Formats: sequence, structure tokens, C-alpha cells
Amino acid sequence: MNGAGAGDPIISVRGLSKRFGRQAVFDDLDLDVRRGEVLGFAGASGTGKSVLLRCITGLLPVDRGSVAVFGRDMSRLSWRERLSIESRWGVLFQDGALFSSLTVLQNVQVPMREQLKLPKSAMDELAFLKLAMVGLAPDAAHKYPSELSGGMRKRAGLARALALDPEIVFLDEPTSGLDPIGAAAFDRLIRSLQETLGLTVYMVTHDLDSIFAICDRVAVLADRRVVRIGTPDELVHDPEHPWVEDYFCGERARAAYR
Amino acid sequence: MLDIANTEPGGGRAVPALRVEAVSGGLRVVASGAWTVRDFAEILGDITALKLPKRPGQTRAEIDLDGVRDLDTAGAWLLNHLRAKLTAAGIAARFRGGSQAQSGLIAVVESSMVGERPPPRRRKVIAPLIGDAFTAIAKAVQDCIQLTAFLGVVTRSAMRTAFRPWRFRWVSFIHHIEHTGLRAVPIIALICLLIGAVITQQSIIQLQIFGAEPLAIDMLGILALREVGVLLTAIMVAGRSASAFTAEIGTMKTREEIDAMRTLGIDPIETLVLPRIAALIVTLPILAFIGDIACLAGGALIAFVYLDISLENFVQRLHDAVNLRHFVVGLVKAPLAALIIGLVGCLEGLNVRGSAESLGTHVTSSVVKAIFLVIIFDALFAMFLSASGF
Repeated sequence: MNGAGAGDPIISVRGLSKRFGRQAVFDDLDLDVRRGEVLGFAGASGTGKSVLLRCITGLLPVDRGSVAVFGRDMSRLSWRERLSIESRWGVLFQDGALFSSLTVLQNVQVPMREQLKLPKSAMDELAFLKLAMVGLAPDAAHKYPSELSGGMRKRAGLARALALDPEIVFLDEPTSGLDPIGAAAFDRLIRSLQETLGLTVYMVTHDLDSIFAICDRVAVLADRRVVRIGTPDELVHDPEHPWVEDYFCGERARAAYR
Repeated sequence: MLDIANTEPGGGRAVPALRVEAVSGGLRVVASGAWTVRDFAEILGDITALKLPKRPGQTRAEIDLDGVRDLDTAGAWLLNHLRAKLTAAGIAARFRGGSQAQSGLIAVVESSMVGERPPPRRRKVIAPLIGDAFTAIAKAVQDCIQLTAFLGVVTRSAMRTAFRPWRFRWVSFIHHIEHTGLRAVPIIALICLLIGAVITQQSIIQLQIFGAEPLAIDMLGILALREVGVLLTAIMVAGRSASAFTAEIGTMKTREEIDAMRTLGIDPIETLVLPRIAALIVTLPILAFIGDIACLAGGALIAFVYLDISLENFVQRLHDAVNLRHFVVGLVKAPLAALIIGLVGCLEGLNVRGSAESLGTHVTSSVVKAIFLVIIFDALFAMFLSASGF
């Protein structure tokens, strides 16, 4: 893919502050995501992992600080430029967030229909291709989201997020609510798609198995900022922060790390 | 279409192109530029329009990828499509050049291209229409049975509580009196006032033809006390409270709170349904009374404005026209309407299954059924009472 050079961070957050009423969620938070990496984003419940994802994708306004994606400050873009940036990322929400009145196939075609002018047959071809790539059988295509299991909904949501071949994929707790086998399969799927499509993956998670299985780096959110960022190995051996230590050196982590 | 690539730094957009060359030993198909989803339709058109030079014995081709700058899954699909087209023409084609990542992507896409696809489900028109009609009738019958059964369940629970009044949820009862009763007063008073005014004004206009305008007050008195006050109130309460009951109980149901109560040995009928229905039975007659008064007040206002009849004269006229039984006939319907509204609201709430959509449909059907049943009941009551001489 073209765009900024390989050395530049693809997402760069500087001095981000956000508060809800009197409660500060982030205070002067910095974060860099490198092109082509799988970044896991961990943190205790309620520290605002999903809020940060929403701030980066522009679903929530930030109070102070800047968010730059593909080297462009998101707050200084015109509506048109913003739209073109947004079509270069895909988001998978926790339960897939599929449109319940559309079939799986139509769901995957929504971004194509909105952003591109494609004939129906071409959209069908591409949508079936995307469904196969995320490991959904063709007969799931004409089902409605309510007829699918949780794991299938996530796969369909991922197919929709990948519909336009984005460069960045945001995943909000991709393995939560899946059984361990399903979660492991989903991890492998993310990794293999990331490798073939050259994606940058930003993954909010607190699944230690996912972190050790597929993440190149892990960022930890605590005390309203990113307190630690590095490879899983580095974090295990040199936690530096009490929460990181509890999380990465606890019994469960040891079992997952092995 | 948005030109995404144009807005990027690093030069202009690479236009996708495709050309065929005849070389020794076969064909060379050269693909170049950006093969991405943005130009999907154009490239697909190019592939369809691609003319293969006809030469006998030509069975090999190379697809040269060295010129391809960007490749995404759509582009990889197109390349595979191109190869399939060559194969169909009897030419064995293979890819040449391109980066390792591109070759990998092409291979992954090829393995994901599904041959057979299930056709979309077709919707038949006539048969389901007849089927739906029968289903609807069956559903209506079933609803009646279920509502009657629910009345039985609630009655049993009420009887049990009557012998053990300390078990009754008084806090919940008072809470629901406030929410279904007190907070409904302003809207019900306003609506009844306006409807009372409209009825009076319309009947004055009609009765003018006979020069009998003051009879409008007689008419209003009987109409308001017997029908309009209580019916309007009941419809308003059905809209406000039946939906609220369904939403509250339904939300608890979706969050498995009702199941949790059962496992803790708490009877959901006793804790959730009984206080709500009891509160409605207490408040609806009071609201209906307020509605009656507001209706008459609206009439008095119009009588003063249009006919210059003072409040004293209005009250005198009203006193002559109506007697207590009109008022009683109206008010006696209120607790029964309350029972219907409460039963429907709570039953629909308990019928909610799992999803948020289910909650939405049940809230809607709760309001529709409650209003429908209240009106049916009112009509039956009116026929019964006039037949028995009240």
C-alpha cells in the first residue's frame, strides 16, 4: 500500500485529554502505532480502552490533544478528506454491530455501496470472497445476524470491516464472548489476514492468550495514560508498573505465556 | 467516486492497465498500475473486453505482474478472474513477477473463491399471505387464552397476598401510584379539557340549527361522565403505563433478572405484577374523575365564550341534565379498564424473549392490545348497560 513511509507511525496520538463530566478518562496520553504491526491494547475494566478507540476513530470528540492517522491530523480535515481517511480503516465492534435488518451479504456490501459504484454482480463476488476469507461458509451469506452464533457474527463483522481493503483494522475485544477454541481460531484468523493483507491491527483486548499469541506489541492503559508499551516479552520481564506486573506476571498470565 | 489515492503524498494515482502481447511461445498479458477495489468496475470491463489474438496452437500465457503497484483483495480477485478467462479460452496461464506479498495474496484469494453459492431465499407471495392470515387468527385466539390464564395467575397471587398483607410490596405500590397516577394528571387534565371544549363547540354549532344551543350542555354532561372522561383517560394510561410496564418487565427479562428472582425463591408475579396492577386499579378511577371534571370545565369555558352562559348557569343546567347514575356508570368502568391495561402490559413484558428487538415489538403490541381491549370492553359495557336500563 502507498501512503506514509514505513518508519512513520500510522496512528499517532499526542497529549490527548478526555473527560466525562468531572471524571478525567485520559490526561496527556501519547500513543504511536507502527505500520504493519498488531498492537494489543490492554488495561483494567473501566480505564477507557474502548473510549480511546472511539476517540481515535472520531466517534467521540477529544477535549485536548491531537490524533493523527496516516500522518494527518484528524481535527484539521475537511469533511471530504475525513471521509477518505475513514474509508482506509475498518472497525469491528464488540458484538459485530451488524445491521439487523440486512443479511450478512448485504452487511458486507454496505461499505461498497456507500463508497464505490460497483455493479451488483461485482459486489456479490467481492462479498462472497470476503466471507470466505474470514472463514464463513457461503450458506451463511443469506442469513440475518439474529440467526448467527456470536463467533459467526464477529466473523461477519470482520468481513464488513475488511470490505474495502482497509489499511488499519480496529478490533474492540475481538475474542470476548467466544469459547477458547473459537477465540484461538479468531486469533489465528486475525494474524493470517494481517499477514496477507498487510494490515495494521489495533486490538483492544484483555485476553492474555490473544496478547501472547498474535500481538507484536502491547500498550497498557492505566492511570489515565499509556504507562507501558512494548513486546509481550518485554512487559513480562520488565513490567515497571504495578498493574502491568499484576497482569503480566500473575498466575493466569504465566499459564498463557508458558 | 472519491479519489483516495490522489489525496495522498507520494505522487499521483497509478492508472490500472492491461495489455496483451504475442511473444514467442505464447502470450504475455501485462498488468500494471493500481489494481484495487476503487477501479474494480473499470478493470473488470477491461478483462471482459480483452481480445485474445487468435493463433492456432497457442496454449500458454504469462501474466506479468511487475508493473502492478498496489494490489488488494479485489485486485487479486480480478487477476484470478483474468486467469480463469484465459483458461476457459484453452490457454494455460501462470503469474510471473510481483512481490512475494502479492503472490501470497493472489494465492489466498484464489483459495477463497467459492464455486457454488446458495441462491438468495425467495419470498413467495400468495401462500404466505394465506398462511399469515391463519397464523394471525391462531395468534389472536392464543392471546385471549394466555390473557385469561394470566388473569387466573394474578388472581391466585392476589388471593394469597390478601391473606398475608405484609407480603405485599407497599413501596413498589406507592412508587407505581406516583408514576402511573400523579405524573399522568397534567396530560390527562389537558387532553380532557380540550376534548370537552371541542365536543361542546361542535354540538353548539349543530344545535344552533334548531335553536337549542343550551342542550349542548346536557349532551356534554352525559357524554363526558358516561364515556369520554373514562375512555380518554384509559387510552392515555394504556399508552403511558402499559408501555412502561412492558418495557420495565421486558428489560428485566432480557437481563435474566426474572430468572434470577425465581432462583432466589421470589415470585415475580407477586413482586412485579401485583403492585403494578394494584396501583393502576387505584389510580385510574381517580384519573378518570379528574378527566371528567376537566372535560366539563372545557365545556363550561366554551359555553361562556360562545353562548355567554355563566359558570353558575352552566352548573345549574348540568345539575338538571345529569344524575348520579351517569357518573357511576362512567366511573365503574375505570378499575376494570385498569385491570385490562395492567394485565396486558405485564403479560407482554413477561413474554419478551432475549433480544432488544423482541422488547421493541412487545412494547408496541402491548400498547396496541391495551387500547384495543379497552375500547372493545367499553363498547360491550355501553351495550350491556343501556340494555339493562342504566
